[in-house]
Amino acid sequence: MNTVLQTKGLCKTYIVNKHQNNVLKNIDLTVSEGEMIAIMGPSGSGKSTLLYCVSGMDRVTAGEVIFNGKNTASLSDKELARLRLDEMGFIFQQMYMMKNLSVLDNIILPAVKSKKNTEKRRETEERGRALMHRLGIDDVCKNDINEVSGGQLQRACIARSMINNPKMIFADEPTGALNRSSSDDVMNELLSLNRDGTTILCVTHDPKVAAKCSRVLYIVDGGIMGEKELGHFEGGDKELRDRERNLNNWLMEQGW
Amino acid sequence: MFWRILKKDLKRKKTMNIILLLFVILCSMFASASVNNISAVTGGIEHYLELANVPDIVVYMSEDCKAKEEIEALPSVKETRTVKPLDIMSSRQFYYQGKQLETFINPATIYPADEFSIRCFDEDNNAVGDVEKGSFYATSQFVQDTDIKPGDDVTIKIGETDITLKYAGAIKCPVFSTESVAGPSLLLNHTDYDVLNSEPETESFGIQMMVKTDDLKAVQDIVADYPADASYMDKEGYKGLFLYDMIAAYILMATSTLLMLTAFVVLRFSIGFTISEEFREIGVMKAVGIGNGSIRSLYIAKYLAISVIGAVIGFAGSIPLGSTMMKTVSKNIVLKGRNSVLLGLISAAAVVVIILLFCYSCTRRVRKLSPIDAVRSGQTGERFRKKSLMHLGRSKLPATGFLSANDVLSAPKRFGIITVIFAVCILLVTCMSNFVMTLKSDKIHMLFAIPETEVHILDADLFAPMMRDAAETDRIIADTEEILRKNGIPAQCTTAQMISAEAWKGDTKAGILFTKTSGKTDYVFPIEEGSEPQKADEIAVTASVLKLLDAQIGDRIKARIDGKEYEFIITGRFESFMSPGARMTTDFDFGHSVVNGTTGLNIHLLNKSDRERVPEIKELLINEFKTDKVYTTSGIIEAMTGMSETMKSIKHLMVILAIVVTAMIVVLMERSFISKEKSEIALMKAVGISDMSIIGQHVMRFGITAVLACILAAALVFPISNGLFAWICSMIGDVTHISSDFDPVDIFVTCPLLIIGVTLICTFLTALYTRTIKASDTASIE
Repeated sequence: MNTVLQTKGLCKTYIVNKHQNNVLKNIDLTVSEGEMIAIMGPSGSGKSTLLYCVSGMDRVTAGEVIFNGKNTASLSDKELARLRLDEMGFIFQQMYMMKNLSVLDNIILPAVKSKKNTEKRRETEERGRALMHRLGIDDVCKNDINEVSGGQLQRACIARSMINNPKMIFADEPTGALNRSSSDDVMNELLSLNRDGTTILCVTHDPKVAAKCSRVLYIVDGGIMGEKELGHFEGGDKELRDRERNLNNWLMEQGW
Repeated sequence: MFWRILKKDLKRKKTMNIILLLFVILCSMFASASVNNISAVTGGIEHYLELANVPDIVVYMSEDCKAKEEIEALPSVKETRTVKPLDIMSSRQFYYQGKQLETFINPATIYPADEFSIRCFDEDNNAVGDVEKGSFYATSQFVQDTDIKPGDDVTIKIGETDITLKYAGAIKCPVFSTESVAGPSLLLNHTDYDVLNSEPETESFGIQMMVKTDDLKAVQDIVADYPADASYMDKEGYKGLFLYDMIAAYILMATSTLLMLTAFVVLRFSIGFTISEEFREIGVMKAVGIGNGSIRSLYIAKYLAISVIGAVIGFAGSIPLGSTMMKTVSKNIVLKGRNSVLLGLISAAAVVVIILLFCYSCTRRVRKLSPIDAVRSGQTGERFRKKSLMHLGRSKLPATGFLSANDVLSAPKRFGIITVIFAVCILLVTCMSNFVMTLKSDKIHMLFAIPETEVHILDADLFAPMMRDAAETDRIIADTEEILRKNGIPAQCTTAQMISAEAWKGDTKAGILFTKTSGKTDYVFPIEEGSEPQKADEIAVTASVLKLLDAQIGDRIKARIDGKEYEFIITGRFESFMSPGARMTTDFDFGHSVVNGTTGLNIHLLNKSDRERVPEIKELLINEFKTDKVYTTSGIIEAMTGMSETMKSIKHLMVILAIVVTAMIVVLMERSFISKEKSEIALMKAVGISDMSIIGQHVMRFGITAVLACILAAALVFPISNGLFAWICSMIGDVTHISSDFDPVDIFVTCPLLIIGVTLICTFLTALYTRTIKASDTASIE
């Protein structure tokens, strides 16, 4: 399979009050097309920082990040922004949306801004509605963001991340602010996307979420301590329970 | 704990707190400066007259007039002082750097400093005592259009006498006219004065007797008995000399009030805006059981700290601001309370109290909110309500334009307030611009009794003979027309002459300015009511004459002109700044009277081709009549009143204020918007929207607001200009039915471009700050 994302010797350092804080240390990572990878680790281990660095939301201090054949470290801010807009999708723990726009407008905004998109505005809107329908939130398309539940809002965020048909979706604790039922719904949508060929890199604290991914990375103190290949999740409660048990055992070994 | 929360809050929300502090400084600065200005302007003339020790009445009389002894004999008279001013008829009798002065129009008057009991003030408003031998002070008209500076030598040549004196500086005095057309007044040491007084060719129109009395009427009655030899000016009369200065001062007062209100509106809005940001914390505090009173007192304490610091800094800033504003209008007046510290401090303290009241009212909602409401509302910084009015999918606008327009429509109150503030700034400038334009228009000439002619000569040498003897008028007009004809410029000359005289109807008396137009004229001055006078015993009068004499159109009144008694029928009412005034027909004969004023020689060019080359003809007349005092239509009112120049100065001040206020509002509001929208900006960046696109959105929404403000201002400028101009004119004289002219270039082009330009530049520069917000900040936003 083709490599979508690769990092070589990725380092990220913050200077706080004249103290150097090496958040990420020599991270080498390869993500192939169609993979769904979970990044786990204790709080402050550098999970989110890794996600932001590989997605071009933050600059690396040293090393290389190659996304779809391009070294993102050599791209200008403008080029990076275009890369994120056209080829990446983002989902955050907090359901960040533009307050002054309706749910549907929030979803289609990246498509309208994208120069890659040659559709008419109405066609883009129809595509947004179709995405919402697929995610089961088409009844709230005209609503303002305060008029929908957290689960619906997070599914709207997923729809927004999908609107430009990205090569890869980056999710930072996508279920962190949701209850179990909403969390399952969101994960099922992500799985469905992954089955359709979208590569997903997801930061999570939840082993139930990670158990649905094909590979799990365990980060401690800015370095990848372990890696667990789980294979693609085909579905079914029994398989999920087995994967969870398997993952939990491995996590215990890692010091979770 | 309370103080720790407060300390942490001040530190953590540094940006918003600094913005709020800046608004408090702005508000306090405008409030202190404006209150000082308002206080100075209110009753400013009375204060000036008192400060200058102006007597109750000044009687002007010939040296041998018996009125002097009669007045001195009055038991009600407390004190008298007499001075004999000398008159130098032409500016050409003054020499600077070996050249004759070609500047002022009317005779210069010389006073001996020690005998002149009325106090004069220098440019720094310090009282001028005695004048050193060999030097002199002069009113501003003396140095107008010259390079004379304090310390320069000026020579006065009269007959065989010449004396060189050092110019010590400019003075102002309530009894010296401030109008630029008036002759200058000079204050000399007594020894130097005596040198000039002993020269036989030195002229003097008489003596001035300064009288302090408890019975003004008794003095006035004595003066009335000597109509040919004596006249008077009481305090009310002197107040009239400062009409133009007071109009400028009232405009300043209105502007100050407007600025103060603007600052308070912005402050109220900012406090509401920042407190709405705090709701999540308020919810958390309520959830852990902190009482409403404690929560409110926490915020009140915070705003108290900010407002006290801001008020102190603002008060300090108000001193130079107030002085700058006041300087424009206090060239001729010593206004009281300039930078009164006490008043400034009271204003600054009032700002603190008002801020606390604002804060108290804004935190009222704390009581009504449940902890859950507060936490939920706090998540987005304000109470939820339907926001999106436009739909991206259906809009034809580009994404950035859509986001800007949608932002403006989603927060109508917020952007509405900014629109109104911008509109006020535009109106300040455009209204002044319209005033300046109107003051140069034909409709104003009529109100000063100047006919619609193309060129005007205001040279004292030329028209002094007809001021001394009205019978000379026709000859001078005929001579002038002849000179013009010889130069190939066929023209008709006109002049309006004014005589101040007492008029009465029954027992009711009033001083009226009678105006008569001479020369080959068929100019029609508009009559508001009744009809134009046709015969020598008919007059039209202004509204104040009707009021003062309790008369109506059709009534008969009597007047004593040049010692003779006349009876007139009032045929109509007209509007004029020469008020209280009466207009006579050309048939009335002033005889050999000394006239009090003239409009100079007003020349109507008969050939159409000549009327198209007025500037060229003006130059020709300057050479032919050897005078610089030749004016075009637009220059004559300026030369007579100096008002449009004052208005121009105020306009420039308004332009500066408009730019400063617009820039400050834009910078502070945009910075607070960035602070509030940090999460959205980070999100937009995270999903791949570029920096320039975000900056563009911010610039465009302020641009939309500025454009809306321009439209609003353009719609309001017509009624506001008309209303204000009519109000100003009603203060100057009996003029109510007048509309303002409009300067379309300023209204529709210059001003809008200025405000839009300042808005766009300031928003762009402030919005550059959004570049410091990173996409990865989505992780750290609360």
